[in-house]
Amino acid sequence: MIEIKNLSRHFGSIKAVDEISFSISSGTITGFLGPNGAGKTTAMRMMVGYLQPSAGSIFLDGASIFADPIATSTRIGYLPEHNPLYDEMITQEILQYIADLRKMPRALFDQRLQYVVESCGLQDVLVQRVGTLSKGYRQRVGLAMAILHDPEILILDEPTSGLDPNQIIEIRELIRNLGTQKTVLLSSHIMQEVQALCDRVLIINKGKIIVDDEIGKLKDYFKDFQVLHLELEAENADFSEFMEYHPELEILSQTQEGEYFKLQIKVPAELDIKYDLARFVAENGWLIVSLYAQQKSLEEIFHNLTKEGKILSEPTVEPVLEDAEPGKETEMSIELQDKEDEGEKKL
Amino acid sequence: MNAIWTIAKKEYQLALRSVTSYIVLVLFLVISGTAFATTVFKIELAELRGIYSIIHLLFVFFIPAITMGSLAKERSSGTIELLSTLPIRLSEVVWGKILSAFLQVLTLLAFCLVYFGIIVVFGENIDYGAIILGFTGLVFAALAYISIGVFASSLPSNQVLAFVIALVISGLFYVVRYLLVLVPLSVLRYLQFFSFEYHLSSFMKGVLDIRDLLFFVAVTLIFAFLAEFNLQSKNMMQER
Repeated sequence: MIEIKNLSRHFGSIKAVDEISFSISSGTITGFLGPNGAGKTTAMRMMVGYLQPSAGSIFLDGASIFADPIATSTRIGYLPEHNPLYDEMITQEILQYIADLRKMPRALFDQRLQYVVESCGLQDVLVQRVGTLSKGYRQRVGLAMAILHDPEILILDEPTSGLDPNQIIEIRELIRNLGTQKTVLLSSHIMQEVQALCDRVLIINKGKIIVDDEIGKLKDYFKDFQVLHLELEAENADFSEFMEYHPELEILSQTQEGEYFKLQIKVPAELDIKYDLARFVAENGWLIVSLYAQQKSLEEIFHNLTKEGKILSEPTVEPVLEDAEPGKETEMSIELQDKEDEGEKKL
Repeated sequence: MNAIWTIAKKEYQLALRSVTSYIVLVLFLVISGTAFATTVFKIELAELRGIYSIIHLLFVFFIPAITMGSLAKERSSGTIELLSTLPIRLSEVVWGKILSAFLQVLTLLAFCLVYFGIIVVFGENIDYGAIILGFTGLVFAALAYISIGVFASSLPSNQVLAFVIALVISGLFYVVRYLLVLVPLSVLRYLQFFSFEYHLSSFMKGVLDIRDLLFFVAVTLIFAFLAEFNLQSKNMMQER
């Protein structure tokens, strides 16, 4: 159990971390999410005792980590951001060195070495110089060093950066396994990673925590509506009748592309109209090519939350829009425009 | 103690693998060997005092070269972050670095035992006391220079800069004796206290003065403490 209270750190006039408070319970994987320069690394460095906080305190099972730093560091496994390693050393040596500095008995080291080599996939590079390793292997060596002493708490600063997709899957699997018994805090700026791994997410921006919630609940922040995408094999299908039955719906766009008719409908989140829609289409003798509901991705939520430093203290059903005027129609159109902008950027 | 030894052992092993160490060794032996050959074979003196003072001068240049990377490299490569999150004390890191440099210097000096052997085999009227105590004095002076070097290495994260700083500080302690002729007598007493040469002179004569021994030990401790304090004040680690 890690408890953080009003933790701050200034670098000159820059507030890297600004009065953050949260707690992490044992046996969970928590994702620390934020854009570059948000204060993730600074906060993590303070948690492992590398940086002294300007103000605030960090408690590990009720005791301040600064009361007995040596006892603390035996319980924490830490993977630093850029994963610094001794390039001149051989993989096995560097693991041995860390074990020696941690005063691990020989027998225990042999046993743990076997485990970390297997779980991090280091068999092939065990007698290779660390300086000659690829970025992915370096990252694995760093991870192996962090978990070598079987710590209760794992603090991993961007554990999957620089890995190829296969390696990412392997490392995620490893972290997921570790997370069942240990407390894991990992930082990332990749949404999917946090979505795939974590039980809980902390979003930090400009040194402040803007979201602290379970991963599943995060979507509640933006559950106001969803967009239904419908593709039909029909010519100029007419949905006006259907819309009359459902005045709460709104057609966002309808286009005819060859023999296919495409339709986007904005639907309030609590409403499930897929069956009604399918029945209506069938009655008219059209053929459904595809029908899917587009949920807001974490990516969009993140983007909305962190742009212009908008701060949310508690969940709200209102979409976060800076310039939103009161009144539903305006909100919708602005949201729509935002999306189109994004689409263009991606193209 | 355990962590000090672990760090020292690793540093020493890495030094043995690096080409730089061998360049330093060869240069050191060539220069000191030339000086030795001159005293013994040309001037025909069965003593090592001349070569000892050459070795002392070489320390001023070679020890900063050995120690320059010790802490600066940990800083520049970021591995200090790794060390500082391990359950070891900051002083253990500093002393580990000092010990490894000391082992490297002892390795250099071990080769100089050849000179001792030559003197013993071919010399007459040998002052064993002066030779052995002189060597002991050099070992203690080396320790003090190493401590200065490690402190200098704790200041910047650039190795070359660390070398220059170490060279300047060590150089000051070395050249003080040449300044002595320029200062009034009242100042001289205090100034010569800082001269390494002055404290080595009794060793060279074969006299063991405990005050000289304490001087080198004190310099070593002071700079080791300063290095530790410097790392701490840079917020590199907690008060460990």
